[in-house]
Amino acid sequence: MSELDAYRSLYIAESRENHENIVKNLLLLETEASETAIAEIFRSAHSLKGMSASMEFKGMERLCHAMEDVFQEIRNNKLSVSRELMDSLLAAADEIEAMLDDIEAGGPGMPENLDEWELDLKRWLGGGKAPVTEVHPGTSYQEKAESGAGVIDEPKATGSRHYLLSVRLKDTCDNPNLRAMIILQNLEEIGTLGTITPDRSVVEDGDFNRQFEVEIESDAGIDAIRAIAGTTDVLSAFLSDRDAPGSPPICLAAAGGPPPPQEEKKPARQLDKPDKGREVKNIRVDISRLDTMMNLVEDLVINRGRITEIAREHQIKALEETLSMIGRSVSDLQALMMDIRMIPLSHIFNRFPRTVRDIANREGKEVEFIVEGGDTELDRSVMDGLNDPLLHLIRNAIDHGIESPDVREAAGKPRKGTLRLSARRDRDNVIITVEDDGQGIHVEKVKRKAIEKGLISAENAGNLTRDEIIDFLFHPGFSTADTITDISGRGVGLDVVRTSLESLHGTIRVNSREGEGTTFELLLPPTMAIVTVMMVRINGRRCAIPIHNVVEVAGLTPERVHFIGGRETVVLRDEVLPLDRLGDMFGLSPSTSILVVLQYQNRKRSIAVDEIEGQQEVVIKPLSKVVGMVRGISGVTIPGDGEVVPVLDVNSIIKET
Amino acid sequence: MVDMGRILIVDDTLFMRTLLKNILFSGGHDIVGEAGDGDEAIAKYQELKPDLVTMDVVMPKVNGIEALKGIRAIDPNAKVVMCTAVGQEQMVKLAIKTGAKGYIVKPFQAPKVLEEIKNVLGS
Repeated sequence: MSELDAYRSLYIAESRENHENIVKNLLLLETEASETAIAEIFRSAHSLKGMSASMEFKGMERLCHAMEDVFQEIRNNKLSVSRELMDSLLAAADEIEAMLDDIEAGGPGMPENLDEWELDLKRWLGGGKAPVTEVHPGTSYQEKAESGAGVIDEPKATGSRHYLLSVRLKDTCDNPNLRAMIILQNLEEIGTLGTITPDRSVVEDGDFNRQFEVEIESDAGIDAIRAIAGTTDVLSAFLSDRDAPGSPPICLAAAGGPPPPQEEKKPARQLDKPDKGREVKNIRVDISRLDTMMNLVEDLVINRGRITEIAREHQIKALEETLSMIGRSVSDLQALMMDIRMIPLSHIFNRFPRTVRDIANREGKEVEFIVEGGDTELDRSVMDGLNDPLLHLIRNAIDHGIESPDVREAAGKPRKGTLRLSARRDRDNVIITVEDDGQGIHVEKVKRKAIEKGLISAENAGNLTRDEIIDFLFHPGFSTADTITDISGRGVGLDVVRTSLESLHGTIRVNSREGEGTTFELLLPPTMAIVTVMMVRINGRRCAIPIHNVVEVAGLTPERVHFIGGRETVVLRDEVLPLDRLGDMFGLSPSTSILVVLQYQNRKRSIAVDEIEGQQEVVIKPLSKVVGMVRGISGVTIPGDGEVVPVLDVNSIIKET
Repeated sequence: MVDMGRILIVDDTLFMRTLLKNILFSGGHDIVGEAGDGDEAIAKYQELKPDLVTMDVVMPKVNGIEALKGIRAIDPNAKVVMCTAVGQEQMVKLAIKTGAKGYIVKPFQAPKVLEEIKNVLGS
């Protein structure tokens, strides 16, 4: 394992930020000639290159170097931004992402066709002339230096001494010209320079064989000159005193000769010194560590519960008091952990402008994509599952929603369609909307298709409300597009979107007006890990019901229960609700007196419970893989007392009806 | 005796700062602060008065050259070492003419970096 591996995750994280910045600004650049965008891309490509070189990811270094070169030309107005150039650059950006993926997976990030990628960028250099052949950055420089001022100051008549300094630089010196410049510059500070051989401009351009001579007149003394000449990269330096002809040259520095005095190497001091002044305000943490921490906090909750029980059993008052203090700390810790796991939606929103551009181009549509509320925060677990559904909705909007420019014009709309992706926090939920000003949903068309597919009979279809018809869109396998496109067809439809959202404990609503557009509204809990539940007892056993599934609670009297079609039903304010006693899960209870009405989407049903213990915020843990899926149970929770309580999966219970 | 020096690291990437910081730590230097852009660099210089600054060239907002000028305006004797990479020669030349006291080359090689830092601190 290389020592560089320690930096790998930091490298990946920061490289991805740079990659994202490149893509974001490329898209911006396509819409307007933004100097800032050009500078930003140049900077990001440059940073990426530098980091990659340090990590010895040669492929990435080369590609980023090529991209940097292209932007250097754009910045210098030698190259103008065209659609083709943008395609080239975006393709390269994609390749960078693929290489980062490879590197993250432990690979070298070195695609086989790297040369092609590089050449594809390099062909833009020099105004699109033949490809530049330099492929090994670090060995030569393309740039020609601006002619440095070769003017040498006239030696001033002072009482100081005249010397001739001969310096030879090491072969390992990276930039001999820069080193020589620094030496000359520093000499100028202590004296006046005379003739420089070769000429100063030649030295500055690097056209010398790592040796140079300079005449200097100074009163600063030999030690001052030694301090300057005996620096980094210097192989040897000799000083002749011109005012003492015949005296031998003094050796100021020589590699292999007596080393210049060196102080003893001190041990690194970072451990025993306070970090005064060193301000690190942010740190990056691997998300799996946060998950582990979260689990530990949960274990803490469980064990605190157990100790509380023990304290109660043995009636140790002092222990109980301490435990309640611990309880408060644990709750705070839990809340803090949840907060740390929150990340802004821009994390996934930032990827979409690129997608929108590609789909719109392919579909021949003009789309103005507006993103709002990217700073709204969501738990990472929710964020992970949100990308695909959103992507699908965005593709749908461009593919099926927004019309082609000509059609839009004919309908009196602007040629460019608008697609708006926005997010906001609304009390306990995060609401994300995907809104287009396209053709909207053709309700009649949906209805015809539903009849065609046998989802409903022609007679019954007439009684359906608009919303009910639109709901067919979420039926598995339902698609109204006449041709299946490469983008949003393939038989995967809105049903998948709805299912994905349900697994995130979210819901989706559609609002569509024919000819005016469609809005999808996604309602999500900001976190999946903590859910407010209603604690109930059924047949003496505890059970938790997610509060967002509970519509109301009512008394259960025998006269309310009717048998309709062989099953128990409850009539509540003229509403007929199926009643489930969940006997197969908990056993039939002899003493149910309370009715809990549950809702999932537009469907309701009721269950009978013994008692309601109250409302509580709990952490839901999924069932282990050993247990597998259990019908009607979405997971378990362990409240403070340490008991393991099943959480009712209302969605599956209602679906089965 | 050369003081091991209180150093301010200026670079817009956390990655480079971390890398450089570890190299400098290993050489026994004290890192008194870090800055992510030129403005911050000037402010931190004013505040911390470090013995030496390592300065990246390409940075957002205020670049390394401007930051170097800003720092030299505060302290004409400031020791600023430029961090250079392939393709930045012109910028570093300009930096040297502006008063940079040294340069280190990316990708950093710890012995070379430490040698240069030591030499500049000792000059």
